[in-house]
Amino acid sequence: MNIQVAEKKPGVFLVALDGDLDMSTSPQVRNAHLPIFRNKKVSHIVVDLSGVSYIDSSGIATFVEGLQLSRKGNIRFTLAGAGETVESIFDLAYLKNVFEMVPDASRLFHGE
Amino acid sequence: MPFTLQSPVMLEIPADPACLFIVRAAVGKIAEKFGLHSKEERRCVLAVDEACANVIRHAYGNVPSGRIIVTFDVSAENLEIRIRDFGQASDPATFKPRDLADVRPGGLGLHFMRSAFDELRYESPPDGGTLLTMVKFRPKEEAFSH
Repeated sequence: MNIQVAEKKPGVFLVALDGDLDMSTSPQVRNAHLPIFRNKKVSHIVVDLSGVSYIDSSGIATFVEGLQLSRKGNIRFTLAGAGETVESIFDLAYLKNVFEMVPDASRLFHGE
Repeated sequence: MPFTLQSPVMLEIPADPACLFIVRAAVGKIAEKFGLHSKEERRCVLAVDEACANVIRHAYGNVPSGRIIVTFDVSAENLEIRIRDFGQASDPATFKPRDLADVRPGGLGLHFMRSAFDELRYESPPDGGTLLTMVKFRPKEEAFSH
């Protein structure tokens, strides 16, 4: 799993993931992105899933944890670029409408 | 003529999460040959992955020296995938998926398994561990016509 974290604008972080998000890689993703939610200067966290071809329940649990932290910290949390496979797994978990999901992370930044 | 296997295919992996992609690849290919549509194929891949992850987590307590044997059997009637471990057995009666309206981490694996397969059977073989049998019936239009 390749993970890139960048502050795109003050307080706006992009976490770009590349690879399968499963039981072997979820701990890496968890360690990389959850600490950002505890940074008081953060207003928006975007996770770019366009490079993720597969996600299992441990990957979803990582993002549910992020969602809970975002609600506590009043931080906007967006999942971007999920492909058909990843999106269908969120759908199967009845979570597609729980998260803010957008098709493309770059468009999101241009729109802000 | 629908795809069948003349005899079962067995895949043995260590109880190491880094090896789960091998199981996923095999399930995906066999489910595709079996004739499942891509959505159902993806569900089967996820379900078997979750079942193996449960074995690693619960039966072997994340100790990678344990072994997992995944057996694929494809007949005219169904796709049967058996997952055999030799770790700590659990009581299937205690396995419960979480309420999906309750948004919290964890508890989705069993929901994914039940969503993908028509039957799930847990057995406790006499030599220890657990045998999970997951059965997917062949879609009607794909069944043999005699």
